[in-house]
Amino acid sequence: MSKPTLLFVDDEERILRSLTPMFRADYRVLSTTDPSRALAWLRDDKVHVIVSDQRMPTMLGAELLRQAREISPATMRLLLTGYSDLEAAMAAVNDGEIYRYVSKPWNMQELRQTVGQAAQIGLRLAEAYQYVTTTPAAQPINILVIEGDDAGAGNTIRDIVGQGCDMECKLHWAHNLEQAMELLMQKDIGVVITDLHINDQDASATVKALKRYRPHVVTVVVTRFRDNNTLIDLINQGQIYRFLPKPISRGLLSRSVQSAMQHHRLLRDSPQIAARHAVEPVAETPQRRLPAQLSGFINRLRGGLSQANG
Amino acid sequence: MSVAVTIASLTIPVSPISPHALVEDVGEYFLAPENEQLLSLPVVDDGRPVGVISRYQMMNVFLKRYGRELHGRKEIATLMNRNPVLIPVDQSMEDASRYVTGNMRFPITEDFVIVRDGRYAGVGVVMDLLKAMEQQLSSRSQQLARAYRELKSSQSHLVQSEKMASLGQMVAGVAHEINTPLGYVRNNVELFLERQRLQAATLDGYTLLLHMMESADSSEAGIALQLDEVRQLHADLGGGDETESLLDDTLYGIGQIADLVSSLKDFSRVDQAMSDDIDINDCLETTLKIAHNTLKHRVQVVKKYGVLPALRCMPSKLNQVFLNLITNAAQAIEQQGTILLRTYVENARAHIVVEDNGKGMPPEVMAKVFDPFFTTKPVGQGTGLGLAIAYQIIQEHGGDIRVASRVGQGTRFVVRLPLPGASDDALAVAS
Ligand SMILES: Nc1ncnc2c1ncn2[C@@H]1O[C@H](COP(=O)(O)OP(=O)(O)O)[C@@H](O)[C@H]1O
Ligand SMILES: [Mg+2]
Repeated sequence: MSKPTLLFVDDEERILRSLTPMFRADYRVLSTTDPSRALAWLRDDKVHVIVSDQRMPTMLGAELLRQAREISPATMRLLLTGYSDLEAAMAAVNDGEIYRYVSKPWNMQELRQTVGQAAQIGLRLAEAYQYVTTTPAAQPINILVIEGDDAGAGNTIRDIVGQGCDMECKLHWAHNLEQAMELLMQKDIGVVITDLHINDQDASATVKALKRYRPHVVTVVVTRFRDNNTLIDLINQGQIYRFLPKPISRGLLSRSVQSAMQHHRLLRDSPQIAARHAVEPVAETPQRRLPAQLSGFINRLRGGLSQANG
Repeated sequence: MSVAVTIASLTIPVSPISPHALVEDVGEYFLAPENEQLLSLPVVDDGRPVGVISRYQMMNVFLKRYGRELHGRKEIATLMNRNPVLIPVDQSMEDASRYVTGNMRFPITEDFVIVRDGRYAGVGVVMDLLKAMEQQLSSRSQQLARAYRELKSSQSHLVQSEKMASLGQMVAGVAHEINTPLGYVRNNVELFLERQRLQAATLDGYTLLLHMMESADSSEAGIALQLDEVRQLHADLGGGDETESLLDDTLYGIGQIADLVSSLKDFSRVDQAMSDDIDINDCLETTLKIAHNTLKHRVQVVKKYGVLPALRCMPSKLNQVFLNLITNAAQAIEQQGTILLRTYVENARAHIVVEDNGKGMPPEVMAKVFDPFFTTKPVGQGTGLGLAIAYQIIQEHGGDIRVASRVGQGTRFVVRLPLPGASDDALAVAS
């Protein structure tokens, strides 16, 4: 088999010169400082992985990756950036739908490994995407909304999502994580809409575990919480599909939920594609052990109690 | 807060005299020890004050020739002042003193009469009233001084926090900017290390091969095997012709990091001290490096630096001013634009001009830009303190700062600072 193709985009040539020798032995390496050149390659060539800088003079990385998604959906998308602004990370999730957010300076071995995994997945995807068929929605999609005591937000979500649902989806409500986990085990949930703080519980570990063991479940995070590192972790370890700020923008939420359902359908119908959301393992240290409740949940997910019913 | 102090606290319970009392008897009352400190005695009829008779008036009578003989047996009502100053007992000290000072005749020869519901309640001494007022004033002015001190310290707090906020943003920007050179420097070093290990292994392979060839008891096949091994190692090493350019890049990156770090250090110079030999053009350069992250790709900076003599100033504070002017200019530029930095000397002053071709502002905004907390920016972007603080800093330096702007065309800020040795007169003439 021919070597997979990597495409690096960064306005600093020295970054490109440094990355190229690192991968040349095992991959075909393309690199450019010019995003429009990169788009041309994506159009004309088969690219398995694109790794882009965020801040570039002519185009932001998140925007480049958004266009890459349209031109070449099978290509795996990574952002490699030295800046840690929340706006950029949000755009990278919501527009770029990236596989990994890697911070500069990076560790060479780790980057080699991350890009290597992406390339493996990219190779398989190139085929999978050829056979993508969109089946008409047979059954309504189960949407789980996890909201704490924020009644206002709950109502808005009920309003917006409920309206668009019709025959297409069915809403389920959880007001704490226990209820959420129970529903996740019992119903065949396709899309999760959740805040990061449910009352005083932190939902991120649950979100990450869910993606790890149920890759076809698509998560939309709606939160007031604004922390860049948390978001980066949610990308790399939780592959969240959307990250939306509160107060909720109606248009944004309704569009996001629509495409989340579509994406869930794609992942359900073509399980190979779910591989593109492989998550980075969460480092578990003695100080950061999982609460019993969560590890119970993980065990049940692992056990694959698959007698889920609609 | 304290309740208003009333006149009640000053009331002296003086026994009043009747209007029918004889003048000579009243003279005796004035000598009584309890009335020693009074200027006048109240005259009360049926509980209502009808007048006051003053020591001064009595003396006038008694000192006249035959005064006592002529007037002594008359009723006091004939001599008294029938329009005494009356003050209600519940009136506040302030109102009372305002009224008293407005209606008393000077020099002061009488006390005032205190009434409750129009009936006699006692006497008040003008001096006591003034003393009480003075005390109140001094405690007020102490409060004022305290409030002033607090305000001042909270203001310097504000100055500090604005500085920290804008500096914080900049430091974050610079820190991130460092990440790019750091990224390739680190990666290159890791590449070298990896290569170094490979080279060492290759060298070991060659050494072993050499030994085998020199030693008598090695087999042909063994040597051939080792030869293959060495060939493979060598191939893995690759050409290695780019090592030098990677080394160059690495050194370049380290230089960039050092530059950024030193500009941060220059900029933040925490010492607030006055320095004698500051080159304003250097200050602008340092500030530009710090602001680079906000500007790059979007804003072109045109510099027209003139020759400026060294100034005596607080560079860290001036940097704060320039940073704010430049950030404001960059924020006013919506897409792409230009910032012009110009310095020159005119009329014994250094002029520093920061001009942008951004969105400008209408007159009503321009009128308020130096007001504390005035901002048109969303929360998180603007504190509204930048220009207020800039104004103050420039004033501390004996200079001034002015603004001109037109909507849709741009904005110009001009800072003027006195040159060393320029006397106030020269500056006054110049302006
Ligand atoms: N160069 C400029 N162009 C247009 N408007 C400006 C400029 N500089 C300042 N302003 C206006 O003055 C306001 C006050 O500025 P400043 O005191 O620095 O506070 P802030 O930048 O935090 O808003 C700004 O919000 C903006 O409306
Ligand atoms: Mg400002």
